[in-house]
Amino acid sequence: MNPMLEAAIWFWIPLCFVPIGIWLSVSGKSKTLGTYIGAIGLLLVMISSWTVPSSDSTAGGHLLLAIVAPTMLLAYGVHGMIFGGNVPVGRLDPTARWSGTIAVFVSIAIFCLMHWYSFTPIWRDDMVNPYWIVFLPTFLLFATSLSSASAVALATYGENRFSESLKLAGLSVLMAGIALCAMIFDGHRTTADEFRDYLWLSAADIFGTIFGISLAIGVFAVVIWSYEKSLPIPESSPPPTKEEIKHVVSIAVSNIGGEEE
Amino acid sequence: MKESSPSWKLLIMAAFLPILVLVAIDVSLDSTFHPESFKRFGNAVLTTYIVMGLILIGNLFFYADSRHRPSAPFVGMTFALAVGLIMAWALISRDELLLEANSGLRAQMLSNVVHLLVSGAAMAVASVLAIGATFAAITGRERRILFEEE
Repeated sequence: MNPMLEAAIWFWIPLCFVPIGIWLSVSGKSKTLGTYIGAIGLLLVMISSWTVPSSDSTAGGHLLLAIVAPTMLLAYGVHGMIFGGNVPVGRLDPTARWSGTIAVFVSIAIFCLMHWYSFTPIWRDDMVNPYWIVFLPTFLLFATSLSSASAVALATYGENRFSESLKLAGLSVLMAGIALCAMIFDGHRTTADEFRDYLWLSAADIFGTIFGISLAIGVFAVVIWSYEKSLPIPESSPPPTKEEIKHVVSIAVSNIGGEEE
Repeated sequence: MKESSPSWKLLIMAAFLPILVLVAIDVSLDSTFHPESFKRFGNAVLTTYIVMGLILIGNLFFYADSRHRPSAPFVGMTFALAVGLIMAWALISRDELLLEANSGLRAQMLSNVVHLLVSGAAMAVASVLAIGATFAAITGRERRILFEEE
């Protein structure tokens, strides 16, 4: 089979299934079908390095598969940390908070071990997955940035939230510290020089992504606004007639019940 | 209203400052600038714009039932998306301004999509961590007694 066609069937078409599945699921038109389409698409993308090994694009799917375990552990930990606390609904046992905290730190440790120990995702011909060195700096930079913004938001918008904002600032410092270590110390299969090179590209990626999303949303807003502006002003409906008022009053009277005190 | 403006500025500064500090440390360690980062920025902007545009067109299609699916916004967004695609084509293939270590236009565009998939996943995982930690910090505090019953 033609390699391009093979890549289209086993990688690009399943990749298109993911947003289609999410759209169907979120819009509520066919929730179950949408979930299945999205899940099958994601699964096919993840295993694409085996189904179509000749395509370079499958390195992205391979990386997603490599990070799925620590990511799920992170999500489990965050869920336990949130719902083990003071929440009005869906509260878990208080021990979930501690197990959640441990799970979050273990997942961060696994990401570190993937860089500094032999857990580094190996793609083909005993080579490191080329997207690993894209993923790690972007993750560390964005986590540092968001934690820092959250700490400031809690301190400025919340009342008596200083101790909570300190915890988030601590998380931001931790992520920045890991990034600094990766800039100074070589990884198991990647060098500190490579990491420093990609840190630049990750910063460019983050700023570019934010700018691109803002631009698309801005254009969307302009398109919708200009369409809504071009619509004629809706005509005012005439006031209700005496018969209509009588009908409404009769319905209201028939629905008012209860005894007077 | 007057107080919200400095808070927003502070918030944006808190988000961008750590990235800029880490990049500054990177420059001080390496003493070299990376011109490829401008190409990466341009590719990230165009790819995100096109992919986000596609997602928004999908939303127009799936959520327009109550408005009898008007075609004007659909055509408008398709035109805006076409402008993005033409710009990407022009900047990658005509002047090679945004061509990275790829063989040509098609390879660069496909590489951009996979790159966005990976960097988007990284940002999503980082968001789970940071937003989750924020909510965990908020719900972790003991419930305070607001007033004593008489």
